[in-house]
Amino acid sequence: MFIGTEKLTYTYMSGTPFAATALNEVSFSLGKGEITLIIGPSGSGKSTLIQHLNGLLKPSSGRVYFKGQAIGSDKGELLRLRRRIGLVFQIPEEHFFSETIYDEIAFAPRNLGLAESEVRIRVKDALEKVGLRAEQLQYRHPFQLSAGQKRLVAVASVLSMNPEVLILDEPTAGLDPSHRRNLFALLDNLNRSGGLTVIISTHHLDDVVALAHSVFVLQGGRMVLAGPPSEIFTTREKLYDLGLSLPSVTEIMHSVKEKGLPVKTNIYTLAGARQEINRLKGRPGR
Amino acid sequence: MSRSITLGQYLPGESLIHRLNPRMKILALLLFLILLFSLKTYGGLTALFFIALGMIAVAKVPFRYFLRGLKPILYIVVFALIIYLFFTKGGVVLLRIGFITVESEGVREGIFVIARLFTLILFSLLVTLTTTPLSLTYGMSYFLKPLRYFGLPTEEVAMIMAIALRFIPTLMEESQRLMRAQVARGADFETGSIFRKAKSLVPLIVPLFVSAFRRADELALAMEARGYRLGARRTRMYEDLIAPRDWAVLSFILVLFSAALAFGL
Ligand SMILES: Nc1ncnc2c1ncn2[C@@H]1O[C@H](COP(=O)(O)OP(=O)(O)O)[C@@H](O)[C@H]1O
Ligand SMILES: [Mg+2]
Repeated sequence: MFIGTEKLTYTYMSGTPFAATALNEVSFSLGKGEITLIIGPSGSGKSTLIQHLNGLLKPSSGRVYFKGQAIGSDKGELLRLRRRIGLVFQIPEEHFFSETIYDEIAFAPRNLGLAESEVRIRVKDALEKVGLRAEQLQYRHPFQLSAGQKRLVAVASVLSMNPEVLILDEPTAGLDPSHRRNLFALLDNLNRSGGLTVIISTHHLDDVVALAHSVFVLQGGRMVLAGPPSEIFTTREKLYDLGLSLPSVTEIMHSVKEKGLPVKTNIYTLAGARQEINRLKGRPGR
Repeated sequence: MSRSITLGQYLPGESLIHRLNPRMKILALLLFLILLFSLKTYGGLTALFFIALGMIAVAKVPFRYFLRGLKPILYIVVFALIIYLFFTKGGVVLLRIGFITVESEGVREGIFVIARLFTLILFSLLVTLTTTPLSLTYGMSYFLKPLRYFGLPTEEVAMIMAIALRFIPTLMEESQRLMRAQVARGADFETGSIFRKAKSLVPLIVPLFVSAFRRADELALAMEARGYRLGARRTRMYEDLIAPRDWAVLSFILVLFSAALAFGL
């Protein structure tokens, strides 16, 4: 088990009349170098779960594991853990506070106590990783950027810690489709070329399922479905019941099948759909 | 939803006391306090104390919330008791240490004053535990209305209070989330000198202000879009009409007053 939880339960404001159990005995695990999706409707506990994975929240009961070891409560240990597991919060550009993009991205490496010469290299690398040009942007004010660029800077501001794992909480919320695709392509690239383990929470599946090795579905604080994407999306009704929709491609395949054509429905990429339709037409897929 | 009302001490409930009109609750509290301070006998005070307990039972608020509310005044109680015990003279001498004496009158008065203080706090807590801060604000603004004739914009003040109350929990939650977000980027808010700690607050305060101003902008726009104007008379969506139960409570208090007068309590 690279990262995982065991019977993780978390209650907000426990001991008050407002206590709310956000996670209920959640157990799951994922492997090194994988891209993992955590999906579920709003309020299902995605953010709460994610914040446990780098020790920002402490379980009410149960355990969280990293590299086979339970995360404890030692302060120094937690500090080191958070350097290795980077977390990009929901709408992260709301947390910007610096006057330049350079300072914003330098925040994390400076907190690590690195020398400024090393910080400079980290900032440049991080900007490069998210596909932004350092020379052009680094001395501009973060608020001068477009929504999509801000999001990329926010991701860079975590990548500058050089984490082994990158967790992103609803990273495409509020982004238009082209920025969404760009961000996912970038994460895919970091995963393939740099071996970065990536965990993404989302309730919008288009463009991202194609990258995922495994998918976990949360509902009301419980882990209700888990598996590779090719298995998760075969039962449409189940996901509908959970208040989720299928990836558009899968949705189309289901409709085609309902119209009477014998297509497979566990298809969630455009390439897969093309292949399947070509197969039906009697031509070999490309 | 529930998170927006965690400010103050309000505990949600459905009891008769919860449903009383907030204006009536404030008036009743005032009357109870007047009654409390005009009582002169142990008998009357005991009766009122039990009435308070009875109302707490009706409100179905667990008693530990009241005990928690009494805790902060424990020092005052001890201090007051000492003053009364040693400095109020009269009656028989109960204890003599050198030239210091404790006399029965001191014990009697000390306990009386403390019992009165306890009862006062029980009544006040009963109101704040069963009324949302928002209703309390509106209730109070009703009694402040006459101040309008002296040029005080009471409606606006009430609106400011209501908005502040509405957003304090939001901002508190936001600052907690912000803190976690910056800790995730390696920030350390705990260790270091005071100077370092103050400096480490910048990543919290700047975004908090940015979002507060953005929220204020959006809210102002939304209010104007719905026709809010300064100085205009507002009506409320949920009118806090005075119900029969409110009159019943008021009558009950008047009966208590008459009884206190009649029996010379
Ligand atoms: N700070 C908080 N205080 C109290 N309850 C919270 C807090 N944050 C989230 N919750 C509650 O926990 C549940 C899960 O929330 P969250 O993890 O944010 O879900 P998601 O990210 O899937 O939308 C929700 O019911 C939410 O109301
Ligand atoms: Mg969330």
